Amino acid sequence: MTAINRRTFVQLSGATAFAGALGLPHVARAAGGKVVIIGGGPGGATTARYLKLANPDIDVTLIEPNELYHTCFMSNEVLGGERTIEQIQVGYDGLKKIGVNVVHDFATGIDGGAKTVATKGGQSFAFDRCVVAPGIDFNYTHEGITEADAGNVPHAWKAGEQTTILRKQLEAMEDGGLVAIVAPADPFRCPPGPYERASLIAGYLKEHKPKSKVIIIDPKEKFAKQGLFTGAWKKLYGFETDNSLIEWLPFAKVGGISKVDAGTKEIVTDFETFKPAVLNYIPQQTAGKIAMDAGLADEKGWCPVDKQTFESKKVAGVHVIGDAAIATAMPKSGYSANSQGKVTAAAIAAILAGKEPVTPSYVNTCYSIAGKDYGFSVAAVYRYNAEKDVIGGVEGAGGLTPGDASPEQFKREVGYAHSWYNNIRKDSWG
Amino acid sequence: MRIKAILGSACVLLMTSGGLALGAEMSASLLADTCNGCHGPDGTSYGPASPTIAGTNKDYMVETMQAFRDGKRPSTIMQRIAKGYSDDELKLIAEYFAAKPFGRIVDQKTDPALVAKGKEIYDNLCEDCHEKDGRSAEDYPALAGQMMPYIESELRDLISGTRNLENNEALSSKERNKKQRNLKDLVDTHGEEGIAAVINFFGSQK
Ligand SMILES: Cc1cc2nc3c(=O)[nH]c(=O)nc-3n(C[C@H](O)[C@H](O)[C@H](O)COP(=O)(O)OP(=O)(O)OC[C@H]3O[C@@H](n4cnc5c(N)ncnc54)[C@H](O)[C@@H]3O)c2cc1C
Ligand code: HEC
Repeated sequence: MTAINRRTFVQLSGATAFAGALGLPHVARAAGGKVVIIGGGPGGATTARYLKLANPDIDVTLIEPNELYHTCFMSNEVLGGERTIEQIQVGYDGLKKIGVNVVHDFATGIDGGAKTVATKGGQSFAFDRCVVAPGIDFNYTHEGITEADAGNVPHAWKAGEQTTILRKQLEAMEDGGLVAIVAPADPFRCPPGPYERASLIAGYLKEHKPKSKVIIIDPKEKFAKQGLFTGAWKKLYGFETDNSLIEWLPFAKVGGISKVDAGTKEIVTDFETFKPAVLNYIPQQTAGKIAMDAGLADEKGWCPVDKQTFESKKVAGVHVIGDAAIATAMPKSGYSANSQGKVTAAAIAAILAGKEPVTPSYVNTCYSIAGKDYGFSVAAVYRYNAEKDVIGGVEGAGGLTPGDASPEQFKREVGYAHSWYNNIRKDSWG
Repeated sequence: MRIKAILGSACVLLMTSGGLALGAEMSASLLADTCNGCHGPDGTSYGPASPTIAGTNKDYMVETMQAFRDGKRPSTIMQRIAKGYSDDELKLIAEYFAAKPFGRIVDQKTDPALVAKGKEIYDNLCEDCHEKDGRSAEDYPALAGQMMPYIESELRDLISGTRNLENNEALSSKERNKKQRNLKDLVDTHGEEGIAAVINFFGSQK
């Protein structure tokens, strides 16, 4: 830290003296530059906002097709009926207000040599630096189902219309119906997400359709926050009893899925066949298509980046953040995308001003809500480790809510989860 | 009374640098901005429960973070977060938030009768330390406009002893005794209604 302090102190005195000689606006303009951001999720929005806060003279364009973004975070509460779809919508006025040029269009190509972004609407945007935050796209791996079936078999892994479809199916289902969630293998967006979803659907069933049940068919042998989830399920949903509202079916129990019939919703596994009334099939994932098309992804479909600046290791001048990036220890979460947006904004502001990027600091927290008055979290504080080229957790920091936390603590974490939601929305979209 | 000269100097530094000294703000801001996801932009919370940390005096914030880190103050999550920062980093973070205004932006639902009763109790039992209707953050944390569920959680932890004042090295034994006495007085004299009243009073402050 002392090295940075010394360096920044010198910069500060230099900048102040310079400003005194020439007057503020002129100097400030010299520190500008053009940044084009692709994607208006938490990653892209946070980068746009923090770039403008760092230096209002940077020309920031955000390209995003939708006028309303639907946060995936808290979309499981929409499925459970605790929240309306309107309550997970956020627009771009907050970013426009601080001078971000928001363009509702879809990026179709990035030319790293010419430094331009092309869009579906036929526009072209020049940049000094480009930030790519397109989230994920899907890779349907099982026979019998493709993305074209999502109207009947929703993934609801991008929030919005998909969330509404799944909610309506749950509402329309008769008491006694079976709900099946097919979970993806690692890595995927929001590791605790499928299990939070199962919890909140079970909460809905408990109250409205108590003869029904939700099963999770999982290619994994363990999952995020497993002890906390199963603890909650035992307390709230009779987990591991004959009347359990939730059943977790890992590979060891039912084997792999050999076929999914998107029409009849039948799922055939090595050992069993299921015929749910509602099927939520969460496919395998890759970085958003634009990242693949622009040559930013590796053979596994995710984007390798410099961990200090999030600049792509494949295309110079282009940064990739959020779900699309390989951020080593940081999971694919909204909080990660927000934290990476700040690091990237600081790095780009420094680079455009001809300075060295400063030492980054990153945080992730994922709150999960398992039912009424029952929330818990996982947290981590990270630092950049140049030697190992990783974003590593600070030793001793972070970790899970203790399994033996008091009912009062689980209850408080619901209030703090809702606070996190309100605050991260404001922090990302203004 | 502890003197907070440093707070003043942090303001001057930020003001003279304006939007120019990117580097200067960023070392502190890159650390501090990670807190905003939970505590709100610039440390002002949009609620319903997580506390606003903007405008907190620097020493109080450093001590609080150290207490979380060392397990001396209970929390749901802050002990896990605080362990990620060194003393030097905590000082930078605290200076950063001390220079931001405590935003009172959430219109919290309060009951006028409880607010009035709370004001009376406040004048008798809280005003000595949490001055200016709880607005002052000179020596102790500001409570005016703080999130009501948060005030309630902390108050209940202080009353039950879950948050043990004896662990708070920042307070003199005289300060500790006074606080214990006044909390006991709040419960003994005014009961549950008194607790609700002071929470409503602080929550009603804009
Ligand atoms: C059910 C569920 C629950 C979750 N809960 C939590 C939680 O509690 N906490 C948490 O931290 N995270 C949570 N997440 C994860 C979180 O939603 C994601 O990690 C986060 O949204 C990633 O942000 P991003 O900015 O990388 O991508 P996205 O949020 O996916 O945003 C990408 C944006 O880019 C746009 N876009 C894509 N391609 C283009 C293009 N070519 N041109 C222009 N725009 C484009 C898209 O329209 C989209 O708006 C949850 C996820 C799910 C599915
Ligand atoms: C994951 C969410 C989260 C993050 C990240 C977070 N906090 Fe907190 N903070 C909380 C919650 C929740 C509380 C209430 C105590 C508790 O239960 O943990 C709190 C309480 C506090 C308090 C006590 C306020 C008071 O006056 O009583 C301080 C100070 C604080 N946080 C500072 C910080 C700082 C500084 C950072 C960043 C380095 C930070 N927090 C990051 C959630 C968070």
